[in-house]
Amino acid sequence: MAFFVARRLLYLVPVLLAVSLLTFSIASLLPGDLAMTILADQATPENLAALRHDMGLDQPIWQRYFTWLGHVLQGDFGRSFRTGQTVLQAVAERLPVSIELMLLAQLGALAIGVPLAIVCAARSGGPFDRFMTGTAFGMLSVPTFLSAILLIYLFAVELQWLPATGYIPFAEDPLANLRFMVLPSLTLALAEWPGIMRILRSDMIATLQEDYISLAKAKGLKPARILFVHALKPSSLTLVTITGINIGRLIGGALIVETIFALPGIGRLLVGAILTRDLVILQGVVLLVAAGFVIMNFIVDLLYAVLDPRIRHGHA
Amino acid sequence: MIAAARSSAFAPIFLVAAFVLSGSPASAQKAGGSITVGLELDIPGFDPLKVGVYDTAALTASSAIFDTLTRLDANGKAQPKLALSWESSPDFKTWTFKLRPGVKFHDGTPFNAAAYKANFDRQKDPANKCRCAFYISAVASVEAPDDLTVVYNLKDPSVNYPTLVSYANQNAAVHSPTAWKAKGDDYNRNPVGTGPYVLKSWTAGDRMVLEKNPDYWDKDKVYLDRIVLKPLPDAQSRFASLQSGEVDLIWDDEYDADNIQRAQKDSRLTVHTYTGSGATVYAMNTKKPPFDDVRVRQALVMALDRKKWSQAVTNGLSRPASNPYGDGSWVKCKDDGALPFDVEKAKALIKDYGKPVAFKTLVTATPRGRANGQVLQQFWKNVGASMEIEQVDQATIPARAFTRQFEMTPWRIVDLADPDPQMYANFKTGSPVALANYSNPELDGLLDKARTTAETDKRIDLYCQITRLINKEAIWFWTFQNTYYAISTTKIKGLPKMYSGVIDVSRVWKE
Repeated sequence: MAFFVARRLLYLVPVLLAVSLLTFSIASLLPGDLAMTILADQATPENLAALRHDMGLDQPIWQRYFTWLGHVLQGDFGRSFRTGQTVLQAVAERLPVSIELMLLAQLGALAIGVPLAIVCAARSGGPFDRFMTGTAFGMLSVPTFLSAILLIYLFAVELQWLPATGYIPFAEDPLANLRFMVLPSLTLALAEWPGIMRILRSDMIATLQEDYISLAKAKGLKPARILFVHALKPSSLTLVTITGINIGRLIGGALIVETIFALPGIGRLLVGAILTRDLVILQGVVLLVAAGFVIMNFIVDLLYAVLDPRIRHGHA
Repeated sequence: MIAAARSSAFAPIFLVAAFVLSGSPASAQKAGGSITVGLELDIPGFDPLKVGVYDTAALTASSAIFDTLTRLDANGKAQPKLALSWESSPDFKTWTFKLRPGVKFHDGTPFNAAAYKANFDRQKDPANKCRCAFYISAVASVEAPDDLTVVYNLKDPSVNYPTLVSYANQNAAVHSPTAWKAKGDDYNRNPVGTGPYVLKSWTAGDRMVLEKNPDYWDKDKVYLDRIVLKPLPDAQSRFASLQSGEVDLIWDDEYDADNIQRAQKDSRLTVHTYTGSGATVYAMNTKKPPFDDVRVRQALVMALDRKKWSQAVTNGLSRPASNPYGDGSWVKCKDDGALPFDVEKAKALIKDYGKPVAFKTLVTATPRGRANGQVLQQFWKNVGASMEIEQVDQATIPARAFTRQFEMTPWRIVDLADPDPQMYANFKTGSPVALANYSNPELDGLLDKARTTAETDKRIDLYCQITRLINKEAIWFWTFQNTYYAISTTKIKGLPKMYSGVIDVSRVWKE
């Protein structure tokens, strides 16, 4: 096991290096010049040249990359030229919001997707199953920016049950915090549940055809007990993987949802950094998020090995 | 000398007048309560050395936290704020301001001439490399001969200088020198001014809470106990937040025309609008063909149907501009010499020119930029000219403009209380922003005269001559006037004119 973990950790090094290289080059190759952005209406050729020199922008790109990487390895991700905040400060302030949003969204998606999948699998091919499969397909095609606005109009403007935008930290007032988080996490959950439901449904249908299920039926066990106890557990392995990988999708969705609902999370930070060409923040945040995603998947890999000895021993 | 007459001798009269005015309808103004304002952007901070320039969101906050030397009244005239009175030298190059005594910053530091000078010197110091220094490049120095006197030494004459230090932008807002020295890098997000509101808390990307300054020198005219500012970047959900009562007032602009028009029909909402001076404009580089020929320039301007254009991009909300001053300016011309919309005449001029008219226009790579570019393309196609759209990043446009690497470029004349700074910069031969590369001794003479003439009537006449000349030569053309929007619930009262697009909520009240 220790050998397995060590080998996996070694794989992480090139992956993270590649991520850092990609992040840096994407930020550097964005259209628009950082020096021009900072100087704006004073971008005379002399001012531009002076500022480029000050910021090291006149050095070749590989040299800038290694300088940046060197700082990053020492834990210095840089400082925003707009706000003077360091990347780590900015991320630390906003990370809790995004993590809460993703957890609630994932819980919501599971709460909708899992029961529906079980009911559909139990009567697969029936009218309810066909209706839900169609609905799930339809929901998959609804973009989050649309469902967000529709939810706001329904629950905030018309019914006035929930706030349209804003945020209150959990530590300050847990109930108010949840009120603010309902619509954003529901928006994300609405985009996520169809995937969960479809995968669990098809795995369940396969499981329900196994011999031991027939045996359970023959023994006269109640259908509900068969579904929840005997069929659900073995069918949810794929679901665990999907839930892990979904975090990547959720980060993407958070960019839009946090902007619409004005949540002060990582997504908003990124969008702001892109709009204002705040490359230091952009590079730093993308690198941290990507590293987080890679490490999450590393943990999922490890969990797998714990669950399934074949993977641990390299036979799978 | 009119400007000097607006000096110390008359200042007490203004104060008395202001007191009487606010005294009679006082029953309508209700003290207390709090409002939440939805802004467009995250505010990056307030230290001029860090942020360089305040954007609209920062200006709403800075108008509450900071004071300036003067303020503009409803007629666009400078009135006392931190300065009680002012007078100029006969050549309008030296302006002396007498300061209000007994004012303190929120941290207890006394406000005086030395503090004011320290603000200026910090921005001006080349070692600080402040982007803000550009906007005070016309000021040679600021002196503090005694505790309550500030002297501005200008490089060029300016007959209306007090109106140019009237809103809390990166240069005019007065910061506490003690605070920026003590806090260093952290000062940016912990601003300290003398203004009616004190910063209580600020969560990045979320909310800024401002509370009434109990020691404010003018506290009787400050009503709300608390102002909460929130960045709401999405236009749809910003408007929905207003409808649902989450916020009391929002920033908006005419590209969000659907919501503005919906709000105009909603009896629970008030649409505040202010048409300022200035306009969005385009400049033609007269050193590059075909713009070296006045016939082509005139033809292109005559091809513009601004009403249809406004309809296409903002549901007709944008107000066409026929001169650079706009409805909000005190410069009003009986005849501004605007060329008429006349497709036939435009076609004839191009035919007369004899060569094919083909050129490129810089366009910002945004949905708005592209929409405007396509409309222009169509107008010019109608008169036989072919325009190619060159999409560039927004930040690239100033650099391309300064180096004259363009044939036609979009630009903006911003809302300022006096036309001189921008007209002089945009049209005087040899100025870095005289984008048309156009030189005309008559125009130069008029510009010089307009900035040294004290009498308003004569200045208006000069500026009207200037626009007639520019319209005739068609080196720039004006598209739409600068119009600013805010939408609030009907309970919000007392929002002043949005000069320079600033939503100043520091003296509003809630019914």
